[in-house]
Amino acid sequence: MRFDPAALRPFRTGAIVLLGLLGAGIALRPLEAPAWTEVRAKQPALRLDSLKDALGQGVTVGLLGGFRAIVADLFWIRTNALWEKYDLPGTQTSIKLVTAIDPRPLYFWLNGSRMIAYDMPNWRIDKAGGYDVVPDAAKRRFDEEQSSIAIKFLEGALGFHPENPLLVLEIGNIHLNRLKDVETASRYYLRASRHPDAPYYAARIYAELLRRLDRKRDAYDFLKSLHPTLPKNDEMAQARVVLDRIRELEGELSIPEDARYRE
Amino acid sequence: MSVASVPFSFGRLGLIAGNTFLEAVRQKLFNFLLLLAVGLVASAQFFREFNFGSSELKFIADFGFGALIFFGSALTIATTAQLFFSEIENRTALTLLAKPLWRAEFVFGKFLGVFAVIGVFCALTIGLMIALLWHREGQLMVINPDDFANGRLIAYGDLLIVGLLQWLKFGVLTAIVLLIASFSNTNLFTVVTGFFVLVICHLQYLARDQWSNVDNVLLAGTVRVLSLVFPNFQLFNLADEIGQGAGVSGEVALRVAGYGVAYIAVIGGLAVYSFRNREI
Amino acid sequence: MSQPVSAISIKGLTKDFSVTLRGVKLRAVDALNLEVAEGQVYGLLGPNGSGKSTTIKIILGLLDATVGDVRVFGVPANQVEARRNVGYLPEAPYFYRYLSGRELVRFYARVCGVPKASLKARVDEVIAWVGLSGAADRRVGTYSKGMLQRIGLAQALVHDPKLIVLDEPTAGVDPVGSAEMCELIVKLKQQGKTVLITSHLLAQIEDVCDRVAILDRGKLIVEGSVLELVGQRDRQALIVDPLPAADLEALRGWLAARGHSLNSVEQPRARLDQLFLSKVSRPGRPGGGSGGVGSNEVPLDAKP
Repeated sequence: MRFDPAALRPFRTGAIVLLGLLGAGIALRPLEAPAWTEVRAKQPALRLDSLKDALGQGVTVGLLGGFRAIVADLFWIRTNALWEKYDLPGTQTSIKLVTAIDPRPLYFWLNGSRMIAYDMPNWRIDKAGGYDVVPDAAKRRFDEEQSSIAIKFLEGALGFHPENPLLVLEIGNIHLNRLKDVETASRYYLRASRHPDAPYYAARIYAELLRRLDRKRDAYDFLKSLHPTLPKNDEMAQARVVLDRIRELEGELSIPEDARYRE
Repeated sequence: MSVASVPFSFGRLGLIAGNTFLEAVRQKLFNFLLLLAVGLVASAQFFREFNFGSSELKFIADFGFGALIFFGSALTIATTAQLFFSEIENRTALTLLAKPLWRAEFVFGKFLGVFAVIGVFCALTIGLMIALLWHREGQLMVINPDDFANGRLIAYGDLLIVGLLQWLKFGVLTAIVLLIASFSNTNLFTVVTGFFVLVICHLQYLARDQWSNVDNVLLAGTVRVLSLVFPNFQLFNLADEIGQGAGVSGEVALRVAGYGVAYIAVIGGLAVYSFRNREI
Repeated sequence: MSQPVSAISIKGLTKDFSVTLRGVKLRAVDALNLEVAEGQVYGLLGPNGSGKSTTIKIILGLLDATVGDVRVFGVPANQVEARRNVGYLPEAPYFYRYLSGRELVRFYARVCGVPKASLKARVDEVIAWVGLSGAADRRVGTYSKGMLQRIGLAQALVHDPKLIVLDEPTAGVDPVGSAEMCELIVKLKQQGKTVLITSHLLAQIEDVCDRVAILDRGKLIVEGSVLELVGQRDRQALIVDPLPAADLEALRGWLAARGHSLNSVEQPRARLDQLFLSKVSRPGRPGGGSGGVGSNEVPLDAKP
């Protein structure tokens, strides 16, 4: 049978189009690559294996296709709905799902950990019969178990946001407020205060915790080294309050007048 | 007999573009999608119920960009295919191309008309989002002054830049749909293929991530070629962190813009080439 | 002195559409030769699938010829320049529904480069010429089929082309609309335009065309002037008042005495379309506007 070259015309056109696209892809790579490296770095890898039970194909494509933030938002709203119903396993699973979808917003980690550490022990107590019925030992156990889950969750967050002072402080808060472990809490406050973006109060509370641990000398030395680093005009830094604490500690430690801290 | 040549005319190109724009904005589809997008952005009011604090702004920004990207993509594909095939099916393409008009003027006129329509869509959606964010941020600054110790959290200039980059991405998508339409016989085929290509362009980065891990040389080569043939739409995805107060690097924005413009030119040129070979 | 250039010159035109890669193809036009002189109304006839529309699309540069040379006023048809002097009305057109008739014609005028200074006058003139002045500001979406054809003709004429190509201009249009379209074609001829027209309504073609070509399966079967092709030069018809049988016999004898014969005696019938047109009302008859040939009314039954 005779071959008709005219019949090849659409294929020739298609081949030229494909070659053109390939050529453009190659030629534009140097323009794209540096920008892509930066954009890609801001998009942590999706751990689809941890999502597969919860997500259908459409949602998966949406997540991979650039709708991560909004999908996470929608799941966060669902988390809130479960939270309002005191659904402990549902809320806990949903919080983990949201942070698996989009680990970037600190908001999800911080508020999720608060639900786990502060709200859920109360739900468990309610479910076990209420505050008047549940023995203190059981209440303490609920606190410890939920705190442990929340701390583990926040340590996971530090994998995405290394040494983020707000996350470190949140762990410290759980030790302090839920587990009443001032010693461990103080270590986290110190760790947070060393970060350049740490809020000023981290260092102030660290010194206060040292005072509570009766390590007044350590607290005094720490505040003396802290005070010169604080900006005088920044209200949040509260340099005046720090100086007042130094003076109080000098009184409590009976520091001689000539050895006292000078501004 | 010598006849004066007909040079390429931006005037005629503009006429085709203006007519395409007018046709598009008078279509129900445009108004419907615009209403949906505006409705979704406006529904951000609903987040007040949750008392998210300053993170409410992140939710508003995410929903705004979500609406922009989702409905913008749908509008781009559907409008481009519809406007192209209405010309073919109503035979207006025949009346136009039987005039002293270059096919390049026709294709780029169609492109510019749709691009302008998408521009209006982006401007309205982003404008509404900025207004909502500005208004709500002002209220939250009064309610939670501690969260705003350093002033406003949202970088509004960056919102505009990201909006512009999304518009450029839709421009690349318009050129892609025109390229498909230039050889396709039906509107439906064009729309379905357009959506497939959109998904591929959004996901091609996954293939690129994987090619170094693929042992089979043939497969690795195929994956590599595919990731070079399709533009990387994930590159335009700079919006996720703006709602959290993070900014956009000027150099990255410029590179992404250059990438978008270059792809519009290349794919638009290929659409003209393919359309010139089409028998109407 | 150089040869006058034909409005359309087709030499050895063949057009194949490939159906499969193995070389199976559909031959739409087969070795066609045609010359359309300037100022003629030329009819291209043939059954569906005979290659009429393909030929027109090649003339307009919308399709490429597989083999052969097609020129419009001497310029190869595949060049944009060839379309400077061509106006085209496709079969059953649908224009931009959201534009008014005036906006539509104005759009096409600007695409064709009608100078801005004369744009408005030219648009108004051509709309009046096709008889749509009263409906010019209505959206095209509300137009009837006949009005669509007329606005289509207006866009084809707006840049004052020398050649007008009309593809089935009366398809789907009622007899009134068809008649009006025929009147307009006759007026175009009177203006010295060349008109190439395809139609399967042969009576209409016969009424308006100078020459016709009949295509079948892509091949030219017959070509010539209408008179040459359908006129019976060895016959004449006399139409008289009703004759009594005796008078008829006397006439037969009188003819025989002079060497002639009376071949048939029939009751003459009016054409149904003419009866229809004489009975129905025809509001807003076209051709009454400014410009064009509005004042030179040509009777419907006039033969060219």
